[in-house]
Amino acid sequence: MSDKVYGMKCNSCGTVSYPKHAVCPNCRNETFEEVAIGGEGKVLTYTDVYALAIEYDTRYLRLAIVELDDGIRVTGQLLDEEPKLGMRVKTILGTVRQSGETAIQGLQFVSV
Amino acid sequence: MKPVYIAGAGMTQFGRSEWTLMQLASVASLAALHHANLGETPVDGVVVANMGAARVNRQTALGSALVDQLALYPATAESVENGPASGASAFKVGVQAIASGMADVVLVTGVERMRVVNGLEGTDFVASLSHPEAEYIYGVTLPALAGMFARLVMDKFGVERKHLAMVAIKNHENAAKNPYAHIRQTVTMEGILTLPEAAVNNPLIADPLHMFDCCPVSDGAASLVLVSEDVAAKLGGPRVRVAGIGQATDTHAVHEREDPTDLKSVRLAAGTAFDRAGLKPQDVDVVELHDAFTILEIAESEASGFFPRGEGHKALERGETRLDGVLPINPSGGLKAKGHPVGATGVAQLVELVWQLRGECDARQVKDAKVAYACNFGGFGNNVVASVLQREA
Repeated sequence: MSDKVYGMKCNSCGTVSYPKHAVCPNCRNETFEEVAIGGEGKVLTYTDVYALAIEYDTRYLRLAIVELDDGIRVTGQLLDEEPKLGMRVKTILGTVRQSGETAIQGLQFVSV
Repeated sequence: MKPVYIAGAGMTQFGRSEWTLMQLASVASLAALHHANLGETPVDGVVVANMGAARVNRQTALGSALVDQLALYPATAESVENGPASGASAFKVGVQAIASGMADVVLVTGVERMRVVNGLEGTDFVASLSHPEAEYIYGVTLPALAGMFARLVMDKFGVERKHLAMVAIKNHENAAKNPYAHIRQTVTMEGILTLPEAAVNNPLIADPLHMFDCCPVSDGAASLVLVSEDVAAKLGGPRVRVAGIGQATDTHAVHEREDPTDLKSVRLAAGTAFDRAGLKPQDVDVVELHDAFTILEIAESEASGFFPRGEGHKALERGETRLDGVLPINPSGGLKAKGHPVGATGVAQLVELVWQLRGECDARQVKDAKVAYACNFGGFGNNVVASVLQREA
């Protein structure tokens, strides 16, 4: 299990994409280097979802799409008690899903 | 391409069913075949649309199974899994078979039996269409994507909860006139929004969306009989032609879209469908949209070209999309109230439109409907199929 979340930076045009694709969505080049995704940004939108998938034994999950300061957008779990559109957050890495014995690590957002 | 006609349409009651997957599919197929009244004309091919059977019903190769049920051997058989757009995708496959001259008669049947598993399993199997590493692992479900989308659209265009409730009220009213609908109970603004007990009647599902903003989980099947021009001429009767189909895809992860409030794939699919039909949105008399969530009916009504961007909720408020309005949307009750057996939905939308164009809808009949449009919204907008049907005199 990786300890970071990775996107890809195109070796030709330099575009960073997250999640990864096999081909650069900008220039169709096929070689990349991995880049760690994270940092500070703002909440683009969020929801408290009560219609949950399997493997969650909580009442609801607070999910958000965050636009990072480098322009990359990410989906993850928002840990703040009072979410607002546009609020400043930073990414941390935490357990986002428990699948059997496996604790899946992913992006969570906390206010700054 | 050769012209393609829809000679028959049928469906099962939507809701919770004790029938097996193949019983559902067979009943809808036989209803469509009887409607088409093919006589001695053989069925050349069968296409079955479904999303979850491999997981929730432990059955695969549904096309072959349906041929067997209906004793249509040696007809060709295919199964189409394309998420919530499976239905219209299967329809497209059938249309292509006839348009290319490879077949003269194709049966297209969409079926889903998803009430057999509990709510978590049901929600999870649909959520498995989301991006596995960038969305699904975080607990993203379809209601979650719809909730995040709704918050953005409401903030940007001034859509209010009352507008979402208006979609629900309208579609429940229409479904009450549809004997095939899952939910045939009308709802009121007081009951789901303004009275204190509305908070209990209408709990949060994915903030800002509440229970009455979401479609039910349904079992059901729907079926169409597609025929070539020669067969249509031989059969006689009302002629409903497939005027145009458009399809477009978009990024898997919703967050990667330049403007997450823009349903680009709907815009592109609708544009292609209308171009191929040689028609415009203004020519349309009756519409079925993919209102798995109330916000989607409003957004798709704009992206399909019926109203300018940000104006859909205003047209709704003016009553334009009611059964007696200038552009009735979801006379069937939509996914919201007719129900949403996922793989059947895209076919069921077209079943309603065929019946509308043939004047067979009784209490929910849209008067003099000649041109119809359907939008089958797959993924959360990463795969959309739009169809235009036309009644020939």
